[in-house]
Amino acid sequence: MDPHHKRNQLLSLAGMCAIVLFLLYAQTYGTSYDVRILNNCALFIILAVSYNLINGVTGQFSLEPNAFVAIGAYTSALLTLTPMEKEISFIIEPIIWPLSVIHIPFIFSLIAEGVVTAIFGFIMGFPVFRVRGDYLAIVTLGFGEVVRVVANNAQTVTNGPLGLKGLAPYTNLWWSWGFAIFTVFMISRLVKSSYGRALKAVKYDESAAEAVGINTFWHKMLAFTCSAFFEGVGGGLLAHLITTISPTLFTFFLTFNLLIMIVMGGLGSITGSIIAAVFVTWGSEVLRFVEEPMHLGFIDIPPVPGMRMVIFSLILIFLMIFARNGIMGTREFTWNGVIDWIQKYVKPAGKGT
Amino acid sequence: MKRLLLSVMVLSLMVCVSSPAFAADKDDTVRIGIFLPMTGGVAAYGQMEYAGIQAANKIKPTVLGKKVELFLVDTKSDKIEAANAVDRLIKKNNVHAIIGEAISGNTIAGAPIADKAKIPMVSPTATNPLVTQNRQYIFRVCFIDPFQGEMAAKYVYDNLGSRKAAILVDIAQDYCVGLANFFAKSFILKGGKIVATTYCQTGDQDFTAQLSSIMAQKPDILYIPNYYAEVALACKQAAEIGLNVPVFSGDGAQAPELIQIGGKDVEGVVFTGHFEKKAASTELAKKYIAMYEKETGKEASGFDALGADAYFVILDAMERAKSINGTKVRDALANTKNFQAISGTINIGADGNAVKSLVLIQVKNGNFTYLDTVNP
Repeated sequence: MDPHHKRNQLLSLAGMCAIVLFLLYAQTYGTSYDVRILNNCALFIILAVSYNLINGVTGQFSLEPNAFVAIGAYTSALLTLTPMEKEISFIIEPIIWPLSVIHIPFIFSLIAEGVVTAIFGFIMGFPVFRVRGDYLAIVTLGFGEVVRVVANNAQTVTNGPLGLKGLAPYTNLWWSWGFAIFTVFMISRLVKSSYGRALKAVKYDESAAEAVGINTFWHKMLAFTCSAFFEGVGGGLLAHLITTISPTLFTFFLTFNLLIMIVMGGLGSITGSIIAAVFVTWGSEVLRFVEEPMHLGFIDIPPVPGMRMVIFSLILIFLMIFARNGIMGTREFTWNGVIDWIQKYVKPAGKGT
Repeated sequence: MKRLLLSVMVLSLMVCVSSPAFAADKDDTVRIGIFLPMTGGVAAYGQMEYAGIQAANKIKPTVLGKKVELFLVDTKSDKIEAANAVDRLIKKNNVHAIIGEAISGNTIAGAPIADKAKIPMVSPTATNPLVTQNRQYIFRVCFIDPFQGEMAAKYVYDNLGSRKAAILVDIAQDYCVGLANFFAKSFILKGGKIVATTYCQTGDQDFTAQLSSIMAQKPDILYIPNYYAEVALACKQAAEIGLNVPVFSGDGAQAPELIQIGGKDVEGVVFTGHFEKKAASTELAKKYIAMYEKETGKEASGFDALGADAYFVILDAMERAKSINGTKVRDALANTKNFQAISGTINIGADGNAVKSLVLIQVKNGNFTYLDTVNP
């Protein structure tokens, strides 16, 4: 038992209060643009942290989050849209019966989409974990494509390529950050538990883990299903933030974005995923200024669309050369670490003992 | 090293944040925001439209005695970015009106934000009927898919005398699925028969399976409402397997690449389009074509002309409203009557949709030739 357990809990509580105060401040004084960016940050924290559970912590290189996000988004959208909205959106083929009349509150839809996605993840896990390594990546990539193609073709359920629109903008700072904190809390608890240690064992050497009595298949399934649950919830929140979804939103590029985040943050580090999710989401908006025309006194630089991506690529290249393990490596943020750091650097200068 | 890198990154971010936002003079300019896909999957459309808007801005740089300032924000052809972009234009650049997006899905993502902020938005080329549905502040200068599908069906039935149509539709594009559907509905209503409906996906290279099954049904017209690349390849392969029926397509076919890819096999293909240089009759169109071709060195076509039209329609509404107030401009936009735009006469009808004529274009001797104008 950590002797500073109580102190750390208090510090965590204080940290939470600080976040709540900050959100309250943003809600009151920020513009809708600021709030939107904060919401995006929270959503990508949810998605990156839960993706990191399977890819980083358990070390199973998989490429399916776009499938899970799509399932979550479609489930929640179909559950919260009013029957009237559905009728006017489905202009090509009418929506099938039970879905056409269902309309439930947002909170229940969030739970439903998490559960539905988790069930999909669970079923999908059986074929997926029959293979390892590169093959696993290919199988999961295929699953991501399958979901997108089904969304395109099942017109009576998903409205095909037209997508769904007119979702109520339920996602606000409290929902998104609330779930982001919940996700981080749950996944960090899981990683610290004996299950989490087993998952890490699977990452470093699957055969050795099996030899010491870990049922690797079920542990991988556990990580996969948990990841699916949170990806699904994230998908539902995303759908209700941008208020419209269509299959083009859930292409491989979504997975790729998340992959960049977790690699950038450090595979296996929850803290790293959070930092990278915020860095990428917020940074790509901040960097928009490089695409605007600039007047540097004596020269005028014309706007260059796509410049942001160039800068991001450069950052990634530098990161991969100089800090191959990402921003955090496999380290995590802990209060003990912070206090040690403060004691090491601040105290000697402060009191001069 | 790591610490150094991290501090450099943090520092650069801080510089980014503190960099001063453009020094826009609040009262002396009219600010028009543009959100278009300048990068990503459909970047070609965004770039064409932006070039058109820039040419239009050169022709008419002021409105109500104030200078018009353009703010371009890239959407990366993505919905999340499109929503961010609209919020940014409204809150950070304080724009008075917005032009965008090029494709329907992204316009739908941006529309509720503009609608809520009461900033009028005009899309150049979002043809899906859902875009403006139930929205007060969202308009467009292109015709919508049901109209295009209906007119295509009418022309095929009446002028070509076709009775048995086969459809090859790109299921991955909302635009293609919508158009195919509205064509089929109108064609059946007129008394025709759809003998085969086959599907493909954007990026497909081989359509022989679909075309063979179509051939077995012996249609007398083949309707391919897809984008140019798929249309050109399908035409090539239809010729290869000996399916010799006239091919009809939609405005997605209007790109020089259609002829480059299709060669002699797209000869005779007819499609419905927004704009054809040779059919342009208005004063504005002549000015625009000269300006656009001088500025870019390219030939004016549908996408850039519609981008410019969006710009001119907004300016016209501001002049009639004698104001740049969002609500007043919105009311003026909704009352646009007989505006002589580049792509013909524009009336804004119910739901903010443009009611306008379309042109029929045929590929003849390796060129797009104007065939006919169809009025609503």
